[in-house]
Amino acid sequence: MEQILANGVYLGSQYAMIALGLTLIFALMNVLNFAHGQMYVIGGFVTYTFYGHWGVPFILALVMSCVTLAILGALIERYLFAPVIKGSAREESTMLLAAGIAFFLDAVILLVFGEKQRGVPKIVDGVFNWDFRLIMPYDRILICVLAILSIVAFIALMQYTKTGRALRALAQDRTAAQLMGVNVDRYSMIGFALGAMLAGLVGGLLVTITGVNLGMGGATSIKAFMMVMIGGAGVISGAIWGGIILGFMEAIGLALLYQYGDITYLVIFVSLMIFLAVRPQGLMGKPWG
Amino acid sequence: MLGFNLKQLTGVGIFLFMIFIGVPFAIGVTGRWDFYFTLTSVALLAIASAGVWLTFYIGRINIGQGAFALIGAYVSAILVVKVGWSFWISLPAAGLFAAVVAILIGLPILRLRGVYFAMITLVLTQVVTLTALALPITNGARGISNIPLPSGISLFGIPILPDFVAMESTKLAFYYTACIIMLLTYAALYRLVNSRLGHLCRSMQQNEELASSIGVNISYIRIVIFAISSFFGGLGGAMFGSIAQSVYPSSFQVADSVNFMLNCFLGGLGYVFGPMLGTLVLYFGWDLLFEFGKYQMLIYSTILIIIIRFLPNGLLSIRFSKGGDK
Amino acid sequence: MQRRTLMKAALTAITMTALQATTALAENTVLKIGFVGVTSGPAAAWGISNQRSMEARASWINETGGYTIGGTTYDIEIVSFDDQKDPKRAIAGMEKMAQEGIHYVVGPNVDDGAAAVRPVAEANGIMYFPYAFPKSLYQAPASNAVLGMVANYQSGPAIYKYLMDEKGVKTVAFIAANESDPLSQRDGGVEAATALGMEVVSANVTYQVDTTDFTPVLTPVMRSRPDLLVLSGVSPANAPQLIRSARELGFQGVISTETAQDAGVLAEGAGDLANGFISVGGASTPELASPMMNEFVQRYTDMFGEYNDESNTKVYALEYILETLKADPSAITDVDAFQAIMDTFEAPNPYMNGDAKLRYVGMSSFGQKRQVSVPLVVNVYQDGEFKTLFVAEVD
Repeated sequence: MEQILANGVYLGSQYAMIALGLTLIFALMNVLNFAHGQMYVIGGFVTYTFYGHWGVPFILALVMSCVTLAILGALIERYLFAPVIKGSAREESTMLLAAGIAFFLDAVILLVFGEKQRGVPKIVDGVFNWDFRLIMPYDRILICVLAILSIVAFIALMQYTKTGRALRALAQDRTAAQLMGVNVDRYSMIGFALGAMLAGLVGGLLVTITGVNLGMGGATSIKAFMMVMIGGAGVISGAIWGGIILGFMEAIGLALLYQYGDITYLVIFVSLMIFLAVRPQGLMGKPWG
Repeated sequence: MLGFNLKQLTGVGIFLFMIFIGVPFAIGVTGRWDFYFTLTSVALLAIASAGVWLTFYIGRINIGQGAFALIGAYVSAILVVKVGWSFWISLPAAGLFAAVVAILIGLPILRLRGVYFAMITLVLTQVVTLTALALPITNGARGISNIPLPSGISLFGIPILPDFVAMESTKLAFYYTACIIMLLTYAALYRLVNSRLGHLCRSMQQNEELASSIGVNISYIRIVIFAISSFFGGLGGAMFGSIAQSVYPSSFQVADSVNFMLNCFLGGLGYVFGPMLGTLVLYFGWDLLFEFGKYQMLIYSTILIIIIRFLPNGLLSIRFSKGGDK
Repeated sequence: MQRRTLMKAALTAITMTALQATTALAENTVLKIGFVGVTSGPAAAWGISNQRSMEARASWINETGGYTIGGTTYDIEIVSFDDQKDPKRAIAGMEKMAQEGIHYVVGPNVDDGAAAVRPVAEANGIMYFPYAFPKSLYQAPASNAVLGMVANYQSGPAIYKYLMDEKGVKTVAFIAANESDPLSQRDGGVEAATALGMEVVSANVTYQVDTTDFTPVLTPVMRSRPDLLVLSGVSPANAPQLIRSARELGFQGVISTETAQDAGVLAEGAGDLANGFISVGGASTPELASPMMNEFVQRYTDMFGEYNDESNTKVYALEYILETLKADPSAITDVDAFQAIMDTFEAPNPYMNGDAKLRYVGMSSFGQKRQVSVPLVVNVYQDGEFKTLFVAEVD
C-alpha cells in the first residue's frame, strides 16, 4: 500500500509537470500542441548531451534544456503558430501545423541524436528501502521533490508576477485582455516559450531516471492530452490534478489488476472514457464548445 | 441532372477519365507498377478520411477513425476466415458493424465537444487496439493471417464480381475496386452535404444551441452522422485487410487516426473533396520522397509545415478562395 | 528567416543524396538488394541497425572491387524503404522493391509487417528475410520468407535449460510489452519453460509500449520472487529501465531476454545494475569474432560514428543472400532456383572463428528449410561489454 502511494505521488508529480506546459499553451492560444512530447524529448537529449556527454554539472545542463526549449518555443510561436492562427478559418487547423512540427522535430532528433536509447549517470546513488514495504531510489525522491518545487514555482509565477497576471488575463479572455492594454502578441509568445520550457525542464529532469529515446515523444504527448482532459482543458490546477490522478490510476491499476495483464490499460482507458462521458468538461474545465 | 452545371459535370467527367483510364495508361507507359498499390491505399484511406471529414462537418474533431477501420478489418477477416462468408458480403457487414459500434459509443460521447471529443476518440483508438489484443476471437497478439483473396460472385450463372484468386495480378482489380468504392463514398458524401440533412449539419457546426432551439433534433443527427462516418471507416479498413491478407491489432493505430484527421485538414475542411486531395498529397507524397533516404521525414515534414503556413485553410483554398464549393 | 534555413537544409539534403547516388555508380554491374523496415519513429533502432549493417557491408564489398557471382562482378546497392512500422507502408515498400526489379529483400522487422508483405512477395517472386517469429510465415504453403535470426522459441529453451543446470533456476517470471511481437514471444517462452519443468510464477504482467517508469509494473512481479525474470521481446530502449527498476526493487535473481541488445545502451541506462544480464547476440564477442567480423565492426563504426551490438545478429542476412547466389548464379533473377539450392547450400561462416557453416535450417520448427543458421550465441553483460556464456546450434 505504501508502495502504491509512493509510486502514485512520483508518477503524478512528473505527469503533472508534463501536462502543465501543454495546458498553458492550450489555455493561451487554443492550440493542442501535438509536438509537446517531442519538445520533452529534445529537453532530455540536451541534458544528456551536456551532462552525460560533456560532463557539465547537472543543474547547468538542466538550465540549457530550459533555454533551448524556450527559444525553440518562441520561434515556433512567432513564425508558425501566430500567422497560421491569424489566417485560418477554423482554429482547429493549427492541429495540422502542430502535427507537422511533431514530425519535423522527430526527424531532427533522429538525425542529430540518433536512434539509440540514451541515459546519463545517476545523480544520486542508493535506494531508500523501508523493510521492503516502501522502496524508492534516492534519485527518484530527488526528482520528485524537484518536480514539485518547479510546479510550486510555476504557480507562484502565474499568481504573483506581472507576466503571470498578463498570461492569466490572456487565457481568460483574449479580446478583453487586448482591450485592457495587454500586448497579446508578445505574451502569446512568452506563454508558448514558457510552455515549451516546462516540457524541456521535465525532459531534462527525467532523463536521469528513464533515459531518453526518440520514440518517447508521441506517446508522451498522448499521455499529456489525457491528463489535461481529466483535469479540464486549459486550467492550470486541472492539469496538476489530471497528472496526479493519472499517476495514481496507473499505480493502483497496475497493482490491483496485474494478474489480468493485458487489460490493465484497457480498464484505465475505458474508465477515462466513462468519466469524460459523465463529466464532459473534465474535473474543473469550463463547459464550453 | 440534379442541378449540376456544365462545369461541374465536365470536372467529374475528367476526374473519372483520369482515375479509370488515365492512371492505368500512365502506369502502363512509365512502367511504375508499384504506384497501383500506393494509389489503392490512397483511395481506401480517402474513404476513411471522408468519414472524419463528415464528423468535422458537425463540428467534431474525430481522432478515432483508426478504431473503426480496425473494427472493420477484423469483422471482415473473422467473417471470411472463421464463418466462411464471401468477402463481398463481409465488406458491407464490416461497415455496418462499425456503424453499430459508433451508435453505441456515440450516444454517450457525442455530447462532448472541442478537444474533449477529440481526446475521447483518440483514447477510443487505443481501447480498440487493446481490445483486439485481449480478445480470443481476434486471435489476440497473433492476429489473423492467411486471409483468402476475395472470391467471385455470380447471380443466376452470370458473374457479377470476378474471382481474385484466378487473376494473374490482383493489383489492377484492387485498384478498380477501391476507386469504385471511393467514388460511391464521395458521391454519397456530396449528396448528403447538399441535402436537408447537410443543411442541418451546417447549422449545428455553427451553433448547436441555436440549431436545437429552432427545432433541429441535434442528438439524432449527431448519431446518424457519426454512424455514417464510422461506416466509411469500417469499409476502408476491411478492404485493407483483404489486400494485406492479414489483420493485426497494430494494423490501424493512433498514428492512423491522427493521419485521417490530418488528411482532412490538409485538403481543406470546407470542401467535400478536400479529404481525397489531402490523402493523396500526404500518403503519395511520402512515397515520392522515397529517394531522399534518411532525409525523407525531414523533407516531408518541412513541406507539410510550409503548406499549412501559407494555406492554413487547406490545399483547396487556393482554387476556391471565396469558399464557394460546399 | 527560419523558413530560409529550412529550405537550405532541404537543398543540402537533396544534393547530398544526389552525390551519394553518383558515387555508388562504378563500372561494375549493380546488384540491388532491398531492405524494408522501420527506420524512423519509436522503433527506429531495430531497422536502422539492420540497414546500416547492410550498407556497411555493401560499401566494403564495393570498395574492395565488388562481389563475383558466376563470373560477373557486381557492385552491391542497398535500396531501403522506411515502413514506419506500419504494415500498410510495408506492402508499399515491397511493391517498390518489385518495381526496382529486386528479388532479395531483408525485413520487415515486425510480425504484422512480415505477414502483410507476404502476398506481394509471393506474387512478384521476392525472397524476403524478416525478423519476425510467427511460424505461419515460414511453414508451407508460405514459400518466400526466410527467418533471418534465431527465434525466441529456439533460443529460449536453450537459455532456460542452461540456467536450470548451471544456476539451479527453478521458478521463472515473464514480463512483456502489450504488443503483438513481445506477447507472442512471451507465450512461446512460457510454453518452453513449462515443457522444461520450470515453475512459471508470473506471466500475465504486461506494460504499455510507451512506459518509461517500470517500478509500478514490476512491483507485483517481484512479489512472486522468481529465480529468473525473462523480459520477453524487450526492445533495447526498455531493457535498461526494466533491469534498473527490478534491481532497485531488490531483485537478486537472473534477468534474461531472447532478443539482441546493445552494450552501450545497457551501460548508459543501467550501469553496473545490468551486470549478469543475459541476452542473445551474434558473434562479436572477442572469443568468437573472426578477423572479418572485427573489420566489419570497425567499418560500421567508421561509417556511422558508433557501432550497435544489435547488428551482430543482423550482419548475416545479406551474406546469406550473396553466398547463396554465388552457389547458383541463375538465382539472381530466378527465385525458384534460390529455393531449390537452399536445401543443399553450405558455405563457411566468415564472421565466426572455428568451422561454423552458413546453411539453411528450420526443418524441426517449420517443416522446410526457411531459416538462416546463425550461431545461437548467448551473451552475458559484464561491466560495459558482452561475454559469451555459451554457443548452441539451431536445426
